[in-house]
Amino acid sequence: MLRSLFYIFLFLFAGEAVRYLFDLMIPGNVIAMMLIFIALKARVIKLETVRPASDKLIKYMVLFFVPYGVGLMEFGDVIKDNWLSIIVAVVASTIITLYVTAIVEQKLEKNE
Amino acid sequence: MSELFRQPVFGVFITLFAFYIAQAIRKRSTNVLLNPVLVAVSLIILVLILFDISFKDYNEGGRFLTFFLGPSVVSLGVLFYEKYKEIKHNFLPFFISVLTGGSLAIVSVAVIAIMLHAPEIITRSLASKSVTTPIAIEVTQILKGIPSITAGVVIAVGIFGNAFGPGILKFLGIRSKHALGTALGTAAHGIGTARALEEGTLAGAYSGLAMCVNGILTAVAAPYFTEWILKLMM
Repeated sequence: MLRSLFYIFLFLFAGEAVRYLFDLMIPGNVIAMMLIFIALKARVIKLETVRPASDKLIKYMVLFFVPYGVGLMEFGDVIKDNWLSIIVAVVASTIITLYVTAIVEQKLEKNE
Repeated sequence: MSELFRQPVFGVFITLFAFYIAQAIRKRSTNVLLNPVLVAVSLIILVLILFDISFKDYNEGGRFLTFFLGPSVVSLGVLFYEKYKEIKHNFLPFFISVLTGGSLAIVSVAVIAIMLHAPEIITRSLASKSVTTPIAIEVTQILKGIPSITAGVVIAVGIFGNAFGPGILKFLGIRSKHALGTALGTAAHGIGTARALEEGTLAGAYSGLAMCVNGILTAVAAPYFTEWILKLMM
């Protein structure tokens, strides 16, 4: 567990370093996510080495964003004034995304 | 009294406690509205209002939990690697559909929000609404929106996709399980993926992978797309 946690933080730090050094507009943790995938694919590290920590972190990921959800209480007024446009934009966009993604996948699969 | 609530241990304790209760409720009922995050957040807000505790005091502890979102995103890369092996043979159609759907998710929400005259800060907070919360929050910070609004909307989108996604897709003539999984992961991240898993492990794998790919796409493209649309339309 300790070793796998070390690797997760090693890659997280590397991701933040890449972001800092190249002054990128991509979050450091997303860069780290790509780096760890590449390292696994290139067999620089083994799946079993990182899985103990990564499985646990993914399992409890929802817990970690609870405080952001609680932060909503600070923005009651902004939401009250804009709830309708938020709901319409989000629902319409989600349906468009669902449908377009699915239809493209279904069409391309058939043509294979 | 507020001295006590300002201790970081309070925020951590109340969050773990509320989440524990939320998980216990989930075990008794799988009603999608009893989503653990939704229940935990509501419980905590209720306690904070009842005892007149500010969010700032609560977050003295809350931010210790928030910190772990960073390593959680790294862990998604590990998940990506595991799932990738399962669908390698069919990767290209999958990849093109996530790219198309994911780009459209960013563009459509911004265009519709602007057409409805939503304030710019709201549009900035909605750009990343389809991707998993930790990535969505980072994107909103880059775009200078309000991360808490993003968090709330992302969870709501997940619940919407989980509850209605499969029904909507079937109604619109989607029959492929792969397509269903890919769409749920692209549009509704982890909470949508939970539903895709109920449709089968392969649909779940497509969904989990779609969530990762769209997370990367949105992290890279959403800040640019959103700035362009704002410049074009405002």
